[in-house]
Amino acid sequence: MCDVCGCGQHDHSHEHDHFVVSDDTTKRNVEIKKSLLSENERVAQSNREHFDRHGILAINLISSPGSGKTTLLEKTVEALKDELKIGVLEGDIETERDAERVRAKGAAAVQLTTGGACHLEAPLVHKGFHALEKQMEGYPDILFIENVGNLVCPSSFYLGEHIRVVLISVPEGEDKPAKYPKAFKTSDVFIITKSDLLPYFDFDVEKVKKEALSLNPNLKIFVLSAKTGEGLEDWFNFLREKVQEKKAAKVEG
Amino acid sequence: MHETSIAMGLLDSLNQMAEREKAKKVLKVRVKIGKLSGIVVDSFVFAFNALKEQFPKLSKTELIVEETPILYRCNECGKEFEVETVFFPECPQCGSINLKLLSGEELEVVDAEIEV
Ligand SMILES: Nc1nc2c(ncn2[C@@H]2O[C@H](COP(=O)(O)OP(=O)(O)O)[C@@H](O)[C@H]2O)c(=O)[nH]1
Ligand SMILES: [Mg+2]
Ligand SMILES: [Zn+2]
Ligand SMILES: [Zn+2]
Ligand SMILES: [Zn+2]
Ligand SMILES: [Zn+2]
Repeated sequence: MCDVCGCGQHDHSHEHDHFVVSDDTTKRNVEIKKSLLSENERVAQSNREHFDRHGILAINLISSPGSGKTTLLEKTVEALKDELKIGVLEGDIETERDAERVRAKGAAAVQLTTGGACHLEAPLVHKGFHALEKQMEGYPDILFIENVGNLVCPSSFYLGEHIRVVLISVPEGEDKPAKYPKAFKTSDVFIITKSDLLPYFDFDVEKVKKEALSLNPNLKIFVLSAKTGEGLEDWFNFLREKVQEKKAAKVEG
Repeated sequence: MHETSIAMGLLDSLNQMAEREKAKKVLKVRVKIGKLSGIVVDSFVFAFNALKEQFPKLSKTELIVEETPILYRCNECGKEFEVETVFFPECPQCGSINLKLLSGEELEVVDAEIEV
């Protein structure tokens, strides 16, 4: 099934560090030139291959705590559960609450508790995904990974996702793209949530969009409210389309 | 907090390297950490030193951190400049925010010295 654990052929890295200097017989310099995150990246790559093999679209959601990730997932599950199989991995520092919330709406969900860590890493996603496979007795069409609420370090840890989504809620303020450039630079989608609150806050949507696009011109942007439903249909259509693309790619491959 | 898991990842990969190279000990390791990488260098060094005891071949490894500056080049006027803050800057010469990041995001293990 997958290359990380016993469920696939165990493949330890093929890269070999090569020697550059060999000055005396007891000391030697080894050139490494690898990312400090290379172990995470190796597992993430294998997660990605695992998702691809089963035609699963994997989406990593990144935001501050309280931006509305779980609420958006609840609405998404409600709307799409009859047409798509949805699996959710819920990253949290300690509680089970978010997994229960999305399960109550009809999705399979596994809670990943990081035990204090402020971000998800690929090996935990790998383990969680196997638990989800068991729970579903099969594979989802979409896998949502709700990262730990934090706009800083989750953007440094690739999990194997196809689409990374960064969310900002209207009450958080319009300076977020400038303050957290990395989250915006590494994402594919930017969602402005809680648009129902726009009348009560100084939040200039066009200005924020422009700023986000100046950091990353390829961002696809949604403005929506899980409360009123505004903008949700565009988001659902985007997901439908991406699932179709994924399925088509699997058939070809 | 993620400094700890990154330090652990580095120790794991050094330990694998030491096995592969049949090293008795790893004497030194050099890493480059950019000021935009989100790593707090002091916490990282602290975690590395606290955790290295668990690995016999790494218990004396000296960690050398090279902090790389945040450098941008302005795409409008070509000015290159260094900033201290992680906030997205504008060009000090022409005010543009159309900038290319030249350095600052590094997170790299450069090399190591081993005893064989
Ligand atoms: N007004 C408004 N509140 C929302 C909306 N979406 C979520 N919330 C509220 O924001 C709070 C945090 O939401 P939650 O989904 O738990 O955020 P998470 O931490 O990102 O998962 C909850 O009290 C939600 O009811 C929205 O579209 N409009
Ligand atoms: Mg949540
Ligand atoms: Zn599998
Ligand atoms: Zn596995
Ligand atoms: Zn973290
Ligand atoms: Zn300029």
